[in-house]
Amino acid sequence: MALPKRIIKETERLMAEPVPGISAVPHEENLRYFDVTIDGPSSSPYEGGTFKLELFLPDDYPMTPPKVRFLTKIYHPNIDRLGRICLDVLKSNWSPALQIRTILLSIQALLGAPNPDDPLANDVAQRWKEDEKAAIQTAREWTAEHAKKA
Amino acid sequence: MSSTDVQERPAKKRRFFVDDAPVQESDLKREESALDEIDTFCVVAKQEGDEMDVKNEMEQEGFSAEDLAGIVGELVSSDQLQVLRKLSEESLERAINIYFDGSWRSKTVAQIPTITSSSSSTLSRKRVNDPSARPPQLWKTLSGSDDPHKLPLVRTRSSQNSSQSGTPRPTSQMPLQRYIGAFGVTAWATRSGTGLIKHGEFVRLERQKSQPKTKIGRGGKLQTVPSKRQDIVVRFTNMKREEIGRLENDTAVWVSALLDQEICVFYGTCVYAPEKIRSNDTIYLQLRCSMLRSAFDGGGFAKPENNRESGFFEAQETQDERNLRMRQVALVKLLEEINLHPSSSNEITDRHKRKGLLQAAEVAEQYEQKNGTQPVKAEGTAGSSPPSDDAEEGEELQQDQLDSLYKKAQSFDFNTPVAEPADTFNMSLRKYQRQALYWMMSKEKDEKSENKQASMHPLWEEYTWPLKDVDDQDLEEVENQPCFYVNPYSGELSLDFPVQEQNCLGGILADEMGLGKTIEMLSLIHSHKSDVAQQISDPTVNSLPRLPANSTSVEKAPCTTLVVAPMSLLAQWQSEAEKASAPGSLRTLVYYGSEKSVNLQTQCCEANAANAPNVIITSYGVVLSEFNQVSAAGGNRGSHGGLFSLEYFRIILDEAHYIKNRSSKTAKACYELAAEHRWVLTGTPIVNRLEDLFSLVHFLRVEPWSNFSFWKTFITVPFESKDFIRALDVVQTVLEPLVLRRTKDMKTPDGKALVPLPPRTIQIDRIELSKAEREVYDYVFLRAKRTFNENVEAGTLMKSYTTIFAQILRLRQCCCHPVLTRNKNIVAEEEDAASAADIANGLGDDMDLQALIDRFTADEGEQDANKYGAHVLKQIQDDAEMECPICSEEPMNDQTVTGCWHSACKKCLLDYIDHQKNKNEVPRCFNCRADLNTRDVFEVVRHDVVAGDDKTHLFRKKGERTEEKGVVKKKEAEKDQQAIPVKNEEPSDAPIKDESIPIDPSSQPQVSLRRLGSSSSAKISALLSHLKQERREAPATKSVVFSQFTSFLDLIEPALTRDRIPFLRFDGSMTQKARAAVLTSFAAPPAPGITTPTVLLLSLRAGGVGLNLTCAKRVFMMDPWWSFAVEAQAIDRVHRMGQESEVKVVRFVVEGSIEEKMLRIQERKAFIAGSLGMMGEEEKRVRRLEDIRELLS
Repeated sequence: MALPKRIIKETERLMAEPVPGISAVPHEENLRYFDVTIDGPSSSPYEGGTFKLELFLPDDYPMTPPKVRFLTKIYHPNIDRLGRICLDVLKSNWSPALQIRTILLSIQALLGAPNPDDPLANDVAQRWKEDEKAAIQTAREWTAEHAKKA
Repeated sequence: MSSTDVQERPAKKRRFFVDDAPVQESDLKREESALDEIDTFCVVAKQEGDEMDVKNEMEQEGFSAEDLAGIVGELVSSDQLQVLRKLSEESLERAINIYFDGSWRSKTVAQIPTITSSSSSTLSRKRVNDPSARPPQLWKTLSGSDDPHKLPLVRTRSSQNSSQSGTPRPTSQMPLQRYIGAFGVTAWATRSGTGLIKHGEFVRLERQKSQPKTKIGRGGKLQTVPSKRQDIVVRFTNMKREEIGRLENDTAVWVSALLDQEICVFYGTCVYAPEKIRSNDTIYLQLRCSMLRSAFDGGGFAKPENNRESGFFEAQETQDERNLRMRQVALVKLLEEINLHPSSSNEITDRHKRKGLLQAAEVAEQYEQKNGTQPVKAEGTAGSSPPSDDAEEGEELQQDQLDSLYKKAQSFDFNTPVAEPADTFNMSLRKYQRQALYWMMSKEKDEKSENKQASMHPLWEEYTWPLKDVDDQDLEEVENQPCFYVNPYSGELSLDFPVQEQNCLGGILADEMGLGKTIEMLSLIHSHKSDVAQQISDPTVNSLPRLPANSTSVEKAPCTTLVVAPMSLLAQWQSEAEKASAPGSLRTLVYYGSEKSVNLQTQCCEANAANAPNVIITSYGVVLSEFNQVSAAGGNRGSHGGLFSLEYFRIILDEAHYIKNRSSKTAKACYELAAEHRWVLTGTPIVNRLEDLFSLVHFLRVEPWSNFSFWKTFITVPFESKDFIRALDVVQTVLEPLVLRRTKDMKTPDGKALVPLPPRTIQIDRIELSKAEREVYDYVFLRAKRTFNENVEAGTLMKSYTTIFAQILRLRQCCCHPVLTRNKNIVAEEEDAASAADIANGLGDDMDLQALIDRFTADEGEQDANKYGAHVLKQIQDDAEMECPICSEEPMNDQTVTGCWHSACKKCLLDYIDHQKNKNEVPRCFNCRADLNTRDVFEVVRHDVVAGDDKTHLFRKKGERTEEKGVVKKKEAEKDQQAIPVKNEEPSDAPIKDESIPIDPSSQPQVSLRRLGSSSSAKISALLSHLKQERREAPATKSVVFSQFTSFLDLIEPALTRDRIPFLRFDGSMTQKARAAVLTSFAAPPAPGITTPTVLLLSLRAGGVGLNLTCAKRVFMMDPWWSFAVEAQAIDRVHRMGQESEVKVVRFVVEGSIEEKMLRIQERKAFIAGSLGMMGEEEKRVRRLEDIRELLS
């Protein structure tokens, strides 16, 4: 299947005007599959870490949202152990007017603003609520351990 | 014969007639003959022979003058008797033969040169014109007589030699009678007795003519004998003139006809009779037959009355026609009985002839009886008689029969000489057109000079006179007269070689559509003029026009050609005529409507020849209405002053299949038009019945075919009795000299096309129905299918044929636009409700952008939404190249705006809405996630700015049609108004109006937002996108849009109007003037400052034939028809001669619908047409049901 114009344009723009702290590079053999890295936002427990994600554009994109998953281990109430992300724009609030760029920005923002009230990793969320400081500390440690820049 | 059943040989003896009747008859005859001094009869049947009694003498050697006279019917002078006796060796029988065949005369000359004076004195001389200086006649048998029924006199050879007219008529060379053969017959006795007749005895045949119309019945009542009943009784008597019996009816039928019509005489001899005869006994006779000279004398025959002079055309046979047929049957029978075969005849006609002829005559008889019992169909109401299809007779022709007919008629010789048109003709002709001109001119001048050898008329047969009689005795030959000719189809006889000749100075120009029949005809008008017209054009002759007072008679119009054409073509004829003529060389007059006030007679008569219109163009309708006027005025043509008051130099019927129904009033009216040269133009001389051709031939007055009984006997009847080959062969012989037909696919010998036309491509555009349309379609489809299946189960398929057909029609309409299938009132109500809702939220089906912006800014509310709206709309208006947020296309494809003013490509937006609906989600805006009302999706329509656009819209203003069509139209007009929500009750909303917005001085493109799917359909949208693309690429290209539903055209109109596509419309409801105006403005070349309409909407029915639309290059077929031929004909309006560029045709077909299946049926039909043989009516219906089954599968 030929690559839709929209994907080509989005890719080109991601290359031409990259978002600071975010990179997304398509696989050569599958242009719908992107290797993504997101820098942890400053003044967040993930600061200093670089997180790897994978992003896949399904066939009916942009009618359906892209599929995004963290590859790097991360301690976050809205991201589970498999790297799956709980984010409304990736689910019910998806709109075809959103793009890869906007989605990744949303994820970056999610790192800066965890939302334990709408958890995906229940244990993490529990801890976040009970002892936020300890939770943030764990997140820092995980970042240092798993997301150190190579 | 109607009488045969009644007059069968009785089982018991019965008295048939009053004894003295024949005596009275003969008394009468005797008196007559007395007047002529000497009996001039030779017909035995009328013979009066009381004075002699030959019976006894028969047994003696030799015979007396009385004996001979008793048989030959005239006194023979003693000198003659002497000769005869000598020659016949005293045998009476031989003497009679010798006497009649005239062979003895030459011998008389040689042997007995002295008989002259005595014989001449006994004979009367009545010939006034006989020059007295004539040398003494050697021999004269008979006196001349004024009575045509009596034999004309015979001139002797010497008189011929001296006669002033160098070449004598062949009949004058012929002896009074000439033996042609003998045959045996059976007869039966009507009386009893002994020794009444015996072997070898002469018998005489008697006809009792002029039977009384009434007779006394058994109970003394007066019974009327039906006049139609033919008396066929042929009695015979012995030499004592005692009646012995009568011939069997089989024989009597035709023998009586031959006797009555004075074609032959018969000499009977008894072959066998019982010694003792009882009535009803069978008697065998041998009859020797001689042809009478009078039979070859054309005048002796009452030809069927010339029906065209009688004015009206009788469907029933007249008595004359009947006599003709009887004679024809009798002759054929006779030739069969005496076993005389033609020595030469047309190969084709011979093949099926003899049996077929008799059979044909029989069938004709039955046909007549059958039809006679049916009440005569009431005449159509006076005044209007469209060329209707009803009341047509004759079976339909099958396609393959038509094909083979045409194929034969199309053997066009490419080496035909060409003729150059006159200088005044302003166009150049192609070679085949110049050949047509040559052919037409030679037809009009009737040049027989062509090198062709005179060929025998195909319907005639040549017979050689027998040289030996039945007893193997030599018969006298007549010099230069070895043969005679018989037309077994008409019963005519001739001694002259019947040349195939045509007495009609015109013909049928049947070139296929698009080859330029009109041009060919115009070249003829220029190139062949009457002598009077030529004199006028000669400046040396000073013509002084003297205007006569209104003449009451029919005046000649020597300079005028009358063209009769369908109304829609009048304007075209005139403009072509003007285009083709050098300025001032041709005066044309369209005789229609108000133009009819002129008095044609004064305009066109010979005295005014210099100023007479050269071409008068009128319509069939005018011909008919004037015909009615003239016939109402008692047939006084001259004083009417109209079309019928003139005899034109030439008359041309265009699209002549308009008169294919010979009983239609239009056809009858056309027959009555008088002209020297008569032409018909038609691409289809035979539409579907052989009778179609008859009407043309009758109009052309081609003898003998214009005689209906002739036609019926040799074409209709054989055809209906399934003798196709013969009927078609005969038709071909009719057509061949009369028709010139070339087809577009003909190739010249060097393989080039006759008319190189630019290529034509047909593209099928498959349309996908919108969801809503699909739902309606599926519903209608299921209903139709259910009806069909129910009827299949109930076995009532044939009965409910029309119901099913109506439902199929609904389906087809549904493919065009679902609204077409719905009750118009309900539709209107729904639209009322919808527009009420629009008023509430300030939206409309079609909104002008500027107006919307104005409204938003005027609102001045702090509502961000409004400000945002204004901003977005402004962006749209400025044509800011926006990218589709969904597919990133830039600019968007068919920009579409939501109710919350967010835009995307139309397809993207609709896909997304569908996507959400499929997931059972409430559709929300892709951008602001506001709930979307799917009704409130608007397409952005940018109206191309064309110079002077808004002021000069050529399209019809709304409501104009309202007057023309009834209530339904009014509804639609109202509907149109609803589309532009002019709300009086809400003045603040007023600006939402599409058309009245003044153009911004900054000339900003006008943009409007149009609700998606509003009164549009997938097909209309597809058409619009084609048209818009065309307009972008080549703005001057003109397109023609055909639909078979005028109601669909009604829906296309507003869509074009909204998209600022100027269009014109042409359909059957328009007046002639309006049609002409439409065609002129459509054909007008683009001029600066004026927007010419580029689209012409045509109904397939009104516009499918005749028109010339070569100014267009694109054809859009909105809906398929059952046979592609009809569509092809419509396409050929554009793709015809004169077209200079490639023609692109788009056929819209809805995917997965009945239309696709129709295409398949079309293909199959094209395939079947060539290969299937004769199909019955029943078979055809079955086949059609098969089609329906397929359609609903």
